[in-house]
Amino acid sequence: MTLAVPEPVRLQAVAAPGAAPSRAQEMDRVQIRGLDFFYGASRALTGVSMGFRDRQVTALIGPSGCGKSTLLRCLNRIYSLYPEQRATGEILLDGENILDPATDLNELRSRVGMVFQKPTPFPMSIYDNVAFGLRLTERLGRAEMDARVEEALRKAALWGEVKDKLRSQGTGLSGGQQQRLCIARTIAQRPEVILLDEPTSALDPISTGKIEELIEQLKAEFTIAIVTHNMQQAARISQNTAFMYLGEIVEFGPTHQIFMNPTKKQTHDYVTGRFG
Amino acid sequence: MPDHIVASFDADLRQLRSAAAEMGGICEKMLAEAVTALVRRDAALAQEVIKADARLDALQREVEEKAIMTIARRQPMAMDLRDVVSAIRISGDLERIGDLAKNCAKRTLAIADGFQAQRIVTGLQNMADLVMRQLTDVLDAYAQRDLERAMDVWRRDGSIDALYTSLFRELLTYMMEDPRNITFCAHLLFYGKNVERIGDHTTNIAETVHYLVTGQALSAERPKDDRASQARLEPDQPAS
Repeated sequence: MTLAVPEPVRLQAVAAPGAAPSRAQEMDRVQIRGLDFFYGASRALTGVSMGFRDRQVTALIGPSGCGKSTLLRCLNRIYSLYPEQRATGEILLDGENILDPATDLNELRSRVGMVFQKPTPFPMSIYDNVAFGLRLTERLGRAEMDARVEEALRKAALWGEVKDKLRSQGTGLSGGQQQRLCIARTIAQRPEVILLDEPTSALDPISTGKIEELIEQLKAEFTIAIVTHNMQQAARISQNTAFMYLGEIVEFGPTHQIFMNPTKKQTHDYVTGRFG
Repeated sequence: MPDHIVASFDADLRQLRSAAAEMGGICEKMLAEAVTALVRRDAALAQEVIKADARLDALQREVEEKAIMTIARRQPMAMDLRDVVSAIRISGDLERIGDLAKNCAKRTLAIADGFQAQRIVTGLQNMADLVMRQLTDVLDAYAQRDLERAMDVWRRDGSIDALYTSLFRELLTYMMEDPRNITFCAHLLFYGKNVERIGDHTTNIAETVHYLVTGQALSAERPKDDRASQARLEPDQPAS
């Protein structure tokens, strides 16, 4: 008998790690170019350039005072309420520079809505809270107004909880409900962009979960920018993340990259809790 | 790398790494002793190897529990998360290496009292030495986060497969030569397969080290040269 063994097969070479998928086909709804921001003489943002993808969630993370909220405040020029604050550079919304002095601020703010850290319901009924902005910007008949209020409350996942008490005070709702009411008030304007400044930091885990679930649904329709100190939250709900430090963007990229394999040491130290 | 702001997080990760490192040390000792036991037909030493496996299993459970607690308590990110995931994976590979070394020791017990020519064991010993080096190197690569060294281990697995294939042929030859060799050689075949599998686990660990250091899974096909599964005996053709 003889022993038969096939000829050796050639060894395979080690392939290079796969390249990151291209994001070029996606579109930026907001494009920031060379943005500087000043509170009087003190500079808060330096040379910020980044984009906010259409119908995606972009998270801004970084230590306190790094400029996240300032950057958010530029996107609807809410800072313009304070004469000593100014921004230079370009912020293009659908290709139009909103830093242009000729920009109609009321129109801008109905296109770019904002929700703050602490729920800020107005001291009026739930219905009026949602209708408030609409009455300022649009002439609507009663039936139409009812429909818009319902639509906004439904999209904010609050309708089921308040439909029988639309005339009660907005301030009587729980913290989580108040925050969703504020989101409904923003949505009612049918904005393009929604800015969320730590929207869940004052809420319990269940209310936080509801807001996160809501954000997931809202991104089908809106471009969302969120400032959060909760890193796991940013990792859960955003598609892109910018890490900021001392008024600059240190790293900006797909969320999974920022949290799993950041390229900058500072980003790594921050997301892993090593920041000094 | 600077320490975490929460010092107990560093302590958690250190404990994970040190438990994994202890497992690595036990595996090295088990494999080395399993080979020595075979070469010397030393039943007592083989028993030691079998006993050592319990400690390895306990350590693996400890690594898993610690890793799960660390994920639950700290929600690790980036390198920390890879560190925890790698400890789970590597401890799993090391636990399997322990099982395979233990099986080698059991086979040594089965064949310890029969006399066989030492040359029959030599091929196996060479292969085990090579796997031993792989294991030591990959554990060093893990401890030092040394990507290059891990990749060296990964590339060398093909040569262990080739050795195993030639060992397989050699043992078949001994069995054909003299049927009294069959029991001994059959055990050695399994012994050899175990050692070859240990080699595969060191390759797994090398891939985990690659993931740990780079954040990328190693997608390339690993080098393979194990053709023992295709080897067969063919009856000689009658002379015409």
